[in-house]
Amino acid sequence: MRTRFGILVAIFSLIGSGAVFAHHSFSTEYDGSKTFNIKGTVSKVEWTNPHARFYVDTTDESGKMVTWNMELASPSALARNGWTSRTLKVGDAVTVTGYAAKVAAYRGDARSVITADGRSLFGGASDDGRPEGGQRQ
Amino acid sequence: MRRLGFGIWVLGFGIFSIALPLYVHAQEGRGSLGTIGALGQEVKRPPVRNEPAPRLPDGTVSLDGLWVGGGPVGDIAQGLPKGEKLPLLPAAVKLMENRAQRETDDPHLWCMPMGVPRSTPYPFRWVQDITGSAASSHLFIIHEGNIHSYRQIFMDGRKHPAELDPTWFGHSIGRWENKDTLVIDTVGFNDKFWFDRKGTPHSEQLHTIERWTRPTMGTLVNTVTIEDPMYYSKPFTVSFTARLQAPGDEIMEYICQENNQYGQAGGHDNPFFGK
Repeated sequence: MRTRFGILVAIFSLIGSGAVFAHHSFSTEYDGSKTFNIKGTVSKVEWTNPHARFYVDTTDESGKMVTWNMELASPSALARNGWTSRTLKVGDAVTVTGYAAKVAAYRGDARSVITADGRSLFGGASDDGRPEGGQRQ
Repeated sequence: MRRLGFGIWVLGFGIFSIALPLYVHAQEGRGSLGTIGALGQEVKRPPVRNEPAPRLPDGTVSLDGLWVGGGPVGDIAQGLPKGEKLPLLPAAVKLMENRAQRETDDPHLWCMPMGVPRSTPYPFRWVQDITGSAASSHLFIIHEGNIHSYRQIFMDGRKHPAELDPTWFGHSIGRWENKDTLVIDTVGFNDKFWFDRKGTPHSEQLHTIERWTRPTMGTLVNTVTIEDPMYYSKPFTVSFTARLQAPGDEIMEYICQENNQYGQAGGHDNPFFGK
């Protein structure tokens, strides 16, 4: 019985630990209430530090072609969560959900990336201060 | 009855554990897309390891493993004993008020070293084949995060030099106490890094004494006494816990300066350019 309680405590501790690694101040760059959901084509992938990025060509409300600069977690954090540098490729059709930049246009903190073949990818990491996780430095 | 009481305690702890991060997120005005997993993604987490810590052949506790944590990130005061406050002198309060107005100036955000005892959300490990060996003169901590940094700790009994040029990680000398506690004494810091994102300050007079223990296989505790008469009225002690990462995980490359676009999305300039 105690073992079961111990497991419960351990689970709750893990859930709680999400707040521990608040690191980079998300709120200095992105607006946690300004979400976006866009469909487009990957035009460039930067598997770089401190954060990986990818760029998505899409059209804005007026039909004009625009390119979004999408920020992800670090390559190491993404790799620990199953990504590789080949996960996204130029030409891939993607649907991206995330938080928009406070100031700059067409910049996003990508939280969810859904690929044309149906893969749903988390753009962040578990332990940091991004909304619901996402490693930043 | 005892079992019932324990159950209530567990329930209370559980509610607190869930509520705290939600509260923190709410306070910072973040997040309207729901919790992790709400959009169907998986987030991998390491298992909890509560068995006894491993030992080296001579009985010294082994610090081997890949660790995350063990120092402040957001606010060093979170490591104080319950009810205590940082003994800030007026100069420290004033400097923190100033830094609160320019939080994007935190050197860490611009890929500068994090100093001591700040930690990053990235793993670190000790150079294991030297840890604990009486014959070894050096011990190293290798950090994945920050700027792929390392710390060098002299274990050969030498003293701090009388005069030191200030550096980001200072001059560290270490020793083992009872084969259970690694004590690292460091002076010779510069005043450039912030203890945390909040901008808690220190001067070149900073003196840190870290006491590292490994109470279980999966836990490393760093209890640090901090002394800095320029900004604190007395020494204070903070404690932080590092967690062992998943088996098979290794240090990976992390070169912060490579493509750091920090600040651009929020319209912030790099405060270190041209200085």
